[in-house]
Amino acid sequence: MSKLPKTNELGFFEIRLESIGGLGANLAGKMLSEDGVVGNGLNGVGFSSYGSEKKGSPVKAHIRFCEPETNIRDTTPIERPHVVGIFHDALFKTIDCTSGIYPDSTILVNSQKSPDELKNLMKIAGGTIAIIDATGIALEEQTKANTAMLGALYRILDFLDPESMKETIRRTFEKKYPHLVDPNIRTFDRGFNEVEFKTYLPEDGVEPKPFSRPEPVLGYETQALGGMITNPGNSILKDLSISRAGMLPHFHEEKCINCAACDTACPDFCFVWEEKPDKKGRPQMFLSGIDYQYCKGCLKCVTACPVEALSGEREYNDGYADKNRVPHLFDLVTQN
Amino acid sequence: MSIEINQENLKTEMGTVEQSFVFESGNEMAAYAAHQINYHVMGYFPISPSTEVAQFLDGMKSRGEHDIVLIPADGEHGSAGICYGASTGGGRVFNATSANGFLYMLEQLPVQSGTRFPMVLNLVNRSVSGPLNIHGDHSDLYFGLNTGWPILMARDPQIVYDMNIIAIKLAEDPEVRLPVIVSFDGYFTSHQKRRVQVIKNRSDVQKFIGEPPRNFPHALDRENPVTIGPYMNEPDYINNCYQQSEAMYNAEAVFERISKEYAELTGREYPILDLYRMDDAEVAVFMLNSAAEVCKDVVDRLRSQGIKAGVISPNMIRPFPQKQIAEALKNVKAVTVGDRADSYGAHGGNMALELRAALQTVGNAHTKVINRIYGLGGKDFYADDAEHFFQLAIEAADKGFAEKPFDYFGHNPGKPEFAPKRVLNPMKKEDLNTGLITVTPDEKTGELKVKIPPLRSLTKKPKRLASGHGACPGCGIFSGLELFFKGIEGDIVALFHTGCAMVVTTGFPYSSHKATYIHNLFQNGSATLSGLVEMFHERKRRGELAELGLSDDFTFVMVTGDGGMDIGMGPAIGTALRNHKMIILEYDNEGYMNTGSQLSYSTPMGHMTSTSNIGGFQNGKPFHHKDTAQIMAATHIPYVFTGTEAFDRDLLKKAAKAQWYANNEGLVYGKILITCPLNWKSKDELGQTIVEAAVNSCFFPLYEVEHGVTTVTYNPEEKNKRLAVSEWLKLMGKTKHLLNENSKDMLEMFDKEVDRRWNMLKAKHESPYL
Repeated sequence: MSKLPKTNELGFFEIRLESIGGLGANLAGKMLSEDGVVGNGLNGVGFSSYGSEKKGSPVKAHIRFCEPETNIRDTTPIERPHVVGIFHDALFKTIDCTSGIYPDSTILVNSQKSPDELKNLMKIAGGTIAIIDATGIALEEQTKANTAMLGALYRILDFLDPESMKETIRRTFEKKYPHLVDPNIRTFDRGFNEVEFKTYLPEDGVEPKPFSRPEPVLGYETQALGGMITNPGNSILKDLSISRAGMLPHFHEEKCINCAACDTACPDFCFVWEEKPDKKGRPQMFLSGIDYQYCKGCLKCVTACPVEALSGEREYNDGYADKNRVPHLFDLVTQN
Repeated sequence: MSIEINQENLKTEMGTVEQSFVFESGNEMAAYAAHQINYHVMGYFPISPSTEVAQFLDGMKSRGEHDIVLIPADGEHGSAGICYGASTGGGRVFNATSANGFLYMLEQLPVQSGTRFPMVLNLVNRSVSGPLNIHGDHSDLYFGLNTGWPILMARDPQIVYDMNIIAIKLAEDPEVRLPVIVSFDGYFTSHQKRRVQVIKNRSDVQKFIGEPPRNFPHALDRENPVTIGPYMNEPDYINNCYQQSEAMYNAEAVFERISKEYAELTGREYPILDLYRMDDAEVAVFMLNSAAEVCKDVVDRLRSQGIKAGVISPNMIRPFPQKQIAEALKNVKAVTVGDRADSYGAHGGNMALELRAALQTVGNAHTKVINRIYGLGGKDFYADDAEHFFQLAIEAADKGFAEKPFDYFGHNPGKPEFAPKRVLNPMKKEDLNTGLITVTPDEKTGELKVKIPPLRSLTKKPKRLASGHGACPGCGIFSGLELFFKGIEGDIVALFHTGCAMVVTTGFPYSSHKATYIHNLFQNGSATLSGLVEMFHERKRRGELAELGLSDDFTFVMVTGDGGMDIGMGPAIGTALRNHKMIILEYDNEGYMNTGSQLSYSTPMGHMTSTSNIGGFQNGKPFHHKDTAQIMAATHIPYVFTGTEAFDRDLLKKAAKAQWYANNEGLVYGKILITCPLNWKSKDELGQTIVEAAVNSCFFPLYEVEHGVTTVTYNPEEKNKRLAVSEWLKLMGKTKHLLNENSKDMLEMFDKEVDRRWNMLKAKHESPYL
């Protein structure tokens, strides 16, 4: 039977997965907790943070393991994880993914970035950073990033038997999607083998940040009555680029015929238009580009484009979206 | 379902029956128990977080694992009706619901208890709310306190399983004969996977609960006709209530008896009160369901510091265990009662009020009671919160009085510097009135002539919705809605039904609505907006808008999913018959996508959803899709249309006409077919391709009905574009199985129905009188 390497005061080894809906963290968490209990003889619990947010929005999965005879009473989300699995490195933009980690926690990130880059982005003092290009593996194997993440997690969680998880993967897919069994086993193995580690010791004299639970920004003295939102259209403040799962459209202005088919197709209103004189000097609308802050990478626009002015491309760690973003010019109150 | 755990190293509860371990959530365990009991009928309607119960049962049914007749109702009121009706037939009945769904069926619950027909309802606790909240608290449960149903509590998935088996036996006991509620916490219990010990063979479960009672009258015995639910005034009615009251109190002793039998069988015993280290406790916390478990860990810690702390959590709250609670508190100096719902204005939550009454009844004036309202809307209750509750009790015990007997806990004032500041200016009226779209009635015939510009020119018109909403990548709702809105000139006031479009655009404190928007629950949006329309016209007539210098031309649009046209069909028809000047716009994505892809009546035959699974015993949805456009056309409103974003100019023209009719004549109903890549299991980028194929296969014909006259606005046959339905179905994962050899009959049946409806439409197109 498995032996847990460390536990908190209630006897739990705790794992938190930070993700975006659609990348499969919820399923990965379920499979992981199930395998720990069913396949490895531990006791445990698995659950996700549920919101009504959809595919592309932040989600968390929580997994607790303990010895088989330990009573599980804690139903609260994991605040002090021993291991964090981050399914998308753009999550740091909007979420404190490493909240509550111990100085010796392990942080697994799906990323093409270097350990040093990630350490700076996450603003952590120490700990072990594990990196896996799960998105790349998934695109190559035609599977999902969650299986590659599971593979990497099993390298970290060395008290669990990877063979037992491979059985779980087999069981999950073989009934409904038998053709997906092999690619998923391959994806798992690649995650397990390709993950790389770098450990940072906390610098001398730097005390680890004490954990404090974040307070909500609004309260009963500042919220409008009845939950009314008196701030129309303020969702423009959000950054949805984290919803992209590896693909984004590129705009080729020279080929564009300004037919607006993309504008009709886009669910996220990313196309930015400008009124300019046409060849005859009459005012006419011209497409000037894409506001990638809101683009979720669905590529509906690429299908809708009757010419080749839009193409679907892989998104690499090269800042393409930031460099080529054409921001919407909103009619902001602050401009008045 | 039911992955068995190797039990070699596990301590097994002692019992006389063979058991095994599974690793499942509370919802799964409710379904697991139900499938072992093998109820006759379940009438249900999807609502988070209880929906999964029906989903799991449907999945098991598709694999032939039980015989329960699963009936997808038109709403919770309907589901309660189905269950009530089924229970009068003498068999076993089951249901699960939550929150507003529970309240929607509330009116039916006293009918069932008052006429004494047993069944079991799993109430998966969730907040009943104005601003919509889907998370766990006890505000729905507290509305159930006066329904006359015994209520059992389940703090974790193990107890959910056990209580479900006890509940049916309790409900059917001749001394009780009442429908029973099993209550457990939404998400905390319903969605957390745990190790659960189950009775291995369902024959043992059935042996324990016994045959359904045969010695009570029912509706299916022609030799002994009965009148169920007579008209009963005084002096007789109070006697019926007295019988019911007696039965309710009997439920306590009957529960204790069944619980003992169950303990012998399984080794797991449930006394009326779950008492944790209460023997010598001086301070205690009283709490319902999952949060009570969090308190137990804290008790262990406090005990190690020498503080005599304990936890009381009832396993049954109807009947309220007054005597046992008073007994448990006899030597306790102070108790903090945590209520996960308020009884606004009552100076305490319901549990605190009843606990105080229990103490007063036995003359206990020495136990101090502190009450805190906590965890509303699923706010987490952590160990340090529990510690604070014990601290409150310790303070009251030390001082001999409770300084603040009632308060909220966990609310926060917020900081003025973070108060919301407005971001966007209102859309400019002149930008919304482009003048590029014109609708003019022909002087002689009255026929509307519509002129629309190229879509390119309309990119200048502001979009009504803002970027930054949280819909899934490739969601068809917003491209569909915005295309429709492009055809509307001037200001819109919109009401959105509960559904994906509502949830992803209004996650507090953000809103993607640039103009005024209202939400109401999806059974009632049509009525709600019709009220606002009439208020607008009346205030306008009285000159109040002019007086205040307010703009007085709005187009009112009610936006609903296809689910909202199921549960909200009644109010939609009422609104149509009253002919209010407004538009009902339905985005049809062929299912209840917001709650996780359950079938709606608009789901086409054979399509896979989470409540129409595919398996050896079931092949997707068993019946045909609802023809909502024809139902609405039958109300003889001035204008009905269908459209999709794949035929952009067609939809744009219809939007312009819709506005004209809504502003000049009365109600308009339009249905747009939109893609849900997540639940159609299709590629994000194929959204338009799929709805285009749906039109070309004649599954979703584009047409309009103007003053009763039908015009097909796009005929794929004339354009040589007609596709076989299979060409459309092959584009989606949810329908791939329909192309298999063993779906041949079903596909043919579906194809015939599509063709029949299309031919009917063509006939209507030919004749102005059809």
